[in-house]
Amino acid sequence: MRRRKKKISVFSVVNGIIFIALCLIIIIPMWKVLVDSFDLKTAYGMKLWPEQFGLAGYKLVFSNPTLYRPLLISVITTVSGTLIALTLSTLGAYVLIQWDMPGRTFFANMLLFTMIFSGGMIPTYLVLKSLHLTNTLWVVILFPALNVYNLVLMRNFFEGIPASLFESATLDGCSPMQTFLRIVLPMSKAALASIGLMFAVTYWNDYTHYKLYITNSDLYNFQMKLRGMIQGSDLPTMSGGITENTIKNAAIIVVIVPFMILYPFLQKYFVKGVNIGAVKE
Amino acid sequence: MFLPVFVFAIIFFYMPMLGVRYAFTNYNGIKDPTFVGLENFQKMFSMPGFWSAFKNTLQISVTGLITKTGFAVIVSIFLNEIVNIHFKKAVQTIIYLPHFLSWVVTASLFSLLLAPTGQGLVNSFLVNLGIVDSGSMIYFLGSSKWWRGTYYIINLWKETGWQTVIFMATLAGMNTELYEAASIDGAGRWGKMRYITFPALANTILTVFILNLAKVMNLFESAFVLQNDAVLDVANVLETYIYYQTFNSGAIPNYGYTTAVGLFKSLVGCVLVLTCNQWSKKVREGRGIV
Repeated sequence: MRRRKKKISVFSVVNGIIFIALCLIIIIPMWKVLVDSFDLKTAYGMKLWPEQFGLAGYKLVFSNPTLYRPLLISVITTVSGTLIALTLSTLGAYVLIQWDMPGRTFFANMLLFTMIFSGGMIPTYLVLKSLHLTNTLWVVILFPALNVYNLVLMRNFFEGIPASLFESATLDGCSPMQTFLRIVLPMSKAALASIGLMFAVTYWNDYTHYKLYITNSDLYNFQMKLRGMIQGSDLPTMSGGITENTIKNAAIIVVIVPFMILYPFLQKYFVKGVNIGAVKE
Repeated sequence: MFLPVFVFAIIFFYMPMLGVRYAFTNYNGIKDPTFVGLENFQKMFSMPGFWSAFKNTLQISVTGLITKTGFAVIVSIFLNEIVNIHFKKAVQTIIYLPHFLSWVVTASLFSLLLAPTGQGLVNSFLVNLGIVDSGSMIYFLGSSKWWRGTYYIINLWKETGWQTVIFMATLAGMNTELYEAASIDGAGRWGKMRYITFPALANTILTVFILNLAKVMNLFESAFVLQNDAVLDVANVLETYIYYQTFNSGAIPNYGYTTAVGLFKSLVGCVLVLTCNQWSKKVREGRGIV
């Protein structure tokens, strides 16, 4: 008995150490960038603590219009895109649970078919160009807003609402729209949070849609700007001894910090989102 | 009520589907398209660049999928053995984190860390250990020899943690009586991990594998932001091939040709999705993926 207990604790210690190592592997790349963004001495190498602390990189990001403008565009498209995306997902999902509505099956198949076949990159580009949506922010706000996968997740959640609630609402004389606004939405706060957050991350992180459909650099979001800076083609004019790498590091931190601050509080909603999909697909 | 969704689906999905007709034409966006039959497909099948991109897509996607799923399963099984609940929560919070970074941020992070100069953390480290000479630092993302391995590791760094979410959910829903019964029967820790935890995950592993296999042709952003001209022989995938041929070829693009490549990609993807759907129905009691 005694021997057995000891064996378990050895395993636990080793297991614990392995997981601490794993966490360090995850954290060090991010930590290194954070440290370097505060370090005015650029001989970075293996330092894991700033040698000469300074905020010059951040000051530049928030004072230079070519840097804070893309940040503003990221914020605007994320907020408006997420709201539109949630509207579409809830409306679409609500239609999908109206089993006796004429046309429901057609509507469902129409959405599901898009998961099987797509026109592809070039036809999509040509269509958006012919509709004059390219080089406008509309395309990066509206295009990602219809996500069939998220719509199906929302439907799965709606299906969990007790049918008796819908019945009593109908008996009380609620129209389908009133039922949607007064019963379905208030009962789905957790799903709205989960799926809304997934959309917000998608919008904040969007790069592909900008790369494909936007060539006007005044409309770039921060991901596009960061990419340009890392590739070295799009660096702002630097003064006061700030170096290229300090700004690159500071820019990376600026784009991930809003998420990092919110993440510990929101983690449960993200995990819940995956599990709505896992339980029922 | 379905009108808004309907309009979005028409504009962003169905109008582009009609656009696949350009695959049978020559079209440069200026003059009207002229019908050329299957010429674009003949051209495509005779292009070495196309075949290389096709092979790269399958190799990179499938290897990425297998390593990611495999690692996530191992991590989940050991994570499940952590007794201290606070430590477990902390580990989970940390390992999920990189999933939420964009590919641009991930590529930026690693291009700085892997820089072949005294500023790059990894190369400095290797020089300090005496593994590489300071004059011959490794171009992890800039040489064909190293690119794929580096790509897989970055992919693992970013996604392994998040992949464990679904496995951990399966384990959380497990009947703990099984472990007690096994203890009584004299099973040790390894025995329980091997004969109880792992089999409990088998169905979920297969499900995750099928769901992701259906998407292997869609590989674009992660490869695109990590590649550069020097590594295209091992890094160019179909979507990036289409992108470069259309927007970066230096000549007037032939939208017809690149639409044809895209149509080929979509058709292969379509077959994969339908196959995986059938497969999924078989192993998941009738539940498909679409």
